[in-house]
Amino acid sequence: MIRLMLTTALALMPLAAAAQEITVGAANMAPYLDPGRDHSNVGSQFYYNSFDTLIDRDHHKLESEWVPALATSWELVEPTVMELKLREGVKFHNGDDMTADDVIFSLNRMIQATFPLYVVRAKDRLGNFTKAEKVDEHTIRIHAAREEPLWETLISLQQIMIIPEKYTKALTGDPNVAEDSDYEAFALAPVGTGPYKVETFQPGEKLVWTRFDDFWGDRAPLERVNVVQIAETASRVTALKTGEADIITNLAPDQLSLVDSDPNLKTEGSATALFHVMIMNQNHAKLKDARIRKALSLAIDRDALNEALWLGKAVVPSTHTMKEMGALHQPDLVTFEYDPERAKALLKEAGYDGFEITYDTAATYYTNGLLAAQAIMEMWAAVGVNGKVVVKDKWSGNDPEMMTRNWSNPMYFADPFGSFGVMWAPNGPSESEGRYNTDADFAEKWERFRFSTDVEARKAAYVEVMERVKEDPAVLPLYRPFESWGMKASVNWAPLPGHIPYVLDFRAGSISLADS
Amino acid sequence: MTIAADPAFAAERRRKPRRADPIQKVAIGIAALLAASALLAPLIAPYDPLAQSLLSRLRPPIGFERFAAGHFAGTDELGRDVLSRSLHGLRLTLALAFAGAVIGLLIGGALGLIAGLRRGWVEDTIMALVDMQIAIPFTLVALLVLSLMGSSLTVLVLVLGIAGWEQYARIVRAEARRLSVQPFLEAARTAGAGPVYTAVRHILPNLVSPLVVQFTLALSNIVILESTLSFLGLGVQPPQPSLGSMVGLGRDYMPTAPWIVLAPAALIVALTFSVQILGDWLRDRADVRLRDR
Amino acid sequence: MIAYLVKIPVKAMVTLFAIVTVTFVATRLSGNPIDTFLGDGLTAEGREELIRYFQLDGTLLQQYLAFLRGVLSGEFGLSFIDRRPVTEVVAERLRPSAQLLLASVALTVVVSLPLGVLGAVYRKSWVGSAVMMLAFAGYAVPSFVLAIVMILIFSYWLNWLPVVGNGSFLHFIMPTIAMSGVLIAALTRFTRNAMLDVLGQDFIRTARAKGLSEARVVLRHGLGNAGVTVISVIGLQIAGLAAAGSVVVESIFSWPGIGQLLVNAAIMRDYPTLQFGVIAVAVAVVVINALTDVAYALADPRIRLSSA
Repeated sequence: MIRLMLTTALALMPLAAAAQEITVGAANMAPYLDPGRDHSNVGSQFYYNSFDTLIDRDHHKLESEWVPALATSWELVEPTVMELKLREGVKFHNGDDMTADDVIFSLNRMIQATFPLYVVRAKDRLGNFTKAEKVDEHTIRIHAAREEPLWETLISLQQIMIIPEKYTKALTGDPNVAEDSDYEAFALAPVGTGPYKVETFQPGEKLVWTRFDDFWGDRAPLERVNVVQIAETASRVTALKTGEADIITNLAPDQLSLVDSDPNLKTEGSATALFHVMIMNQNHAKLKDARIRKALSLAIDRDALNEALWLGKAVVPSTHTMKEMGALHQPDLVTFEYDPERAKALLKEAGYDGFEITYDTAATYYTNGLLAAQAIMEMWAAVGVNGKVVVKDKWSGNDPEMMTRNWSNPMYFADPFGSFGVMWAPNGPSESEGRYNTDADFAEKWERFRFSTDVEARKAAYVEVMERVKEDPAVLPLYRPFESWGMKASVNWAPLPGHIPYVLDFRAGSISLADS
Repeated sequence: MTIAADPAFAAERRRKPRRADPIQKVAIGIAALLAASALLAPLIAPYDPLAQSLLSRLRPPIGFERFAAGHFAGTDELGRDVLSRSLHGLRLTLALAFAGAVIGLLIGGALGLIAGLRRGWVEDTIMALVDMQIAIPFTLVALLVLSLMGSSLTVLVLVLGIAGWEQYARIVRAEARRLSVQPFLEAARTAGAGPVYTAVRHILPNLVSPLVVQFTLALSNIVILESTLSFLGLGVQPPQPSLGSMVGLGRDYMPTAPWIVLAPAALIVALTFSVQILGDWLRDRADVRLRDR
Repeated sequence: MIAYLVKIPVKAMVTLFAIVTVTFVATRLSGNPIDTFLGDGLTAEGREELIRYFQLDGTLLQQYLAFLRGVLSGEFGLSFIDRRPVTEVVAERLRPSAQLLLASVALTVVVSLPLGVLGAVYRKSWVGSAVMMLAFAGYAVPSFVLAIVMILIFSYWLNWLPVVGNGSFLHFIMPTIAMSGVLIAALTRFTRNAMLDVLGQDFIRTARAKGLSEARVVLRHGLGNAGVTVISVIGLQIAGLAAAGSVVVESIFSWPGIGQLLVNAAIMRDYPTLQFGVIAVAVAVVVINALTDVAYALADPRIRLSSA
């Protein structure tokens, strides 16, 4: 037995980390890797290293500045048709050359999705696109139903990163047909064009990237990256301290001092482009009166939550907006406030009789989620609301009995449509889950915001949309959580401002290791 | 593995003196102290166990820097008083253990009595259930049931009750079988006593001491099970404190605020340890045969 | 005897069938798993479509029959989350669990046998008392408390031992100890009492009278005879530990074993994985139990006669 243990130990003992190799201790490892199907905060960490979009942006900048990626140039040939010239000499990780067919296949698998797991993702953000077609070997066109103000933004989405057609179709069954099972298989053996290829992928546990030498762009700075899941915060910190990991993700604010106090370690962090929100069920019998929901929202002192739970490092918004949205960022608009006195008055007016109001939360999913929930109950109690935290791992947002709960509204792309819109547009997930209602008036305002080609018109329409949200609230953005990464002092890495949340960008120019 | 099934105890028992030795005296004292603290928790806890103070989070116990006056055992991640939470946690943990042990006693006692008085397929079925309960690792079953059903205090108490019923069933059945062939019971039966009367009048009195012993030992096992389930987030739900859930939820703060975890962990060990020694001592005194089968 | 041996596998099969069925019904009664494993942000049609895609749209009976057909043909389905065959998912987890189990049993034997012997030989001195207190402590300290305290000291304060996974020899130390606590307590007691019983018997007195050295008497004759009982006890303990003890320890140390898999599958409502995982564990427990039964029957004529 002891011999067995020793041999195992020798076989598995991690090699002393050679130069250009790092290990990342991640709070979560994706159960599958398919950029099309995924829109989770877990998956978003991984796609940018292995996959490319047609158009990319300079992620070092907060404002959107489009740069060529797999497309070298693009122009609108008609208001609803964009033509893109493809980069030549691009290779997939499996050695195949990237062709116009691969690009068309990748786009249409989402735009004209039949695989149920793609359909769901495609509807909420790619709905305006109708098809992609090949013009010649190096030119393709994308067609939209209506004039599209967000062409580049949408074409740079993770969901339409480019994957190889032949490889994917041949994974299962008929090698000339894209079956659902091909997509299922792809998610376990992903192949892209990015600077790192996936060498090993153990779902939910481990991912190993190695440098892809035939990458079309700048050579990847790292030879090898191991990402291992370490679910518990305290364990991740220990892994960093014992040298098992070079970078760790999702460091809670309470743990920052632990890492910063060690001279060999440091932390990097930012207020992530994502809101932790509280949602309220407009259709729950006891919450139908908007005054009660307004009171629940007004009673929450979000600045106090920020000070206490995030050491003041989170960002509390005045409305559903983020600075990443550039011209559409409207920080002066005030939709959400703290006013306990008005909350009390509204409750009185509405005749609130002290019935219990439940607040659902998962135990660990959102950093500080359970703590914030308990703190919010105290704030509610202060205005006379009888609140109760219910811990459940099951999503209850579609349960008619749900009264309030926490959720997140990530910025899927840098536009209010990519954050508020994906979740709260007419017929979007919030409405179809039955806890939120829109009417013709709201839809008209939304359409004007979504499709106006004039920025000022869009801004004005968004103000009207937010006014409706304020009158009959279903959501309160609590804050942009301050997410931190801990790392060895010798690692030069930080989250870049131009990415969607949680991306571990290890491309050239984004990471380097100091010689030690 | 439950203690009553351990033949070692039976063997030890025969070799031990009946008077409490010093270790037993200490343990019994601790058990009494813990029971009293649990009963009086609402009176002696300095703070409301749920009252938060976001401005004094994660303060250390008395004697350390940054100690917040009045919070002798420190405060937790929401600024709640660790001592008050521990006392109330102890209260809830003990209450759950009692409720669970009583349910186990009722189920096991009833089934054991039926099995002992009625032979044939009834007895076979009940004993097959007992065997199955012994064979299946119960912690795993409890985990699966709670994660599938969702944890509420009702489900939790039922799970804790089912955890140990088979031990009572075995004891009661053995005693019922042993007594039912005794001449005085035969006499009672011929005198027209019904089975219920027989059970209440003649069998139960003989069972009091073995059941008290088993009940005490089961308490300790149930405390361990409850703490484990709550530790894993499947038992008592926040904000309600139980000793196990305090350890489980405090885990993320261990490197920076270990007192959140150490206070309830120490109470769990003190509780299980003292109750087990108490149970062992009771068994010595009662000198009952627990391992009849 | 033969009848007894035939009864064992039949009993095992019935138990297995009951466990499989109960697991199936329990999972289906606990709500639609889509809400847990796909979570938020689905439109109503999207949700319906996915329920069909994951074949969760039939009635309970239809699903159960489909499941039984699958079991009989060796098809246990794809994990809802990984979308891999659950047999593959579970198979990956067996090795780490088995390694941890073997390490714990090895540690238990190495620690408990000497302690048990010492406890018996020096039962009247402080050594014997200390051994018995240790055994008590093993029962009283829940494995998660033991694990947490070790992590606090050896990982967070001293930074000596890794906390996560099974990557190296060092990774084995804490989980093995945490898992062995109760086992060591149990086996130490069994060994001590078996030794006490044996040492009190006539042939030991004879051996002593023949002038053999005390060490030889105790180890060769004493432990040699007590060993039979002790070894059969180990078998029983493994069965319990094969599933139960490891769940808690594996979740704390993120050990990529089957216990952690089952808990996660239950929490995420990954029914195919949960069902096959429970089958795998149940088979392991039932087989170990059955083997222990057989061993008893073969070894001990008294059990053979009374049970048959």
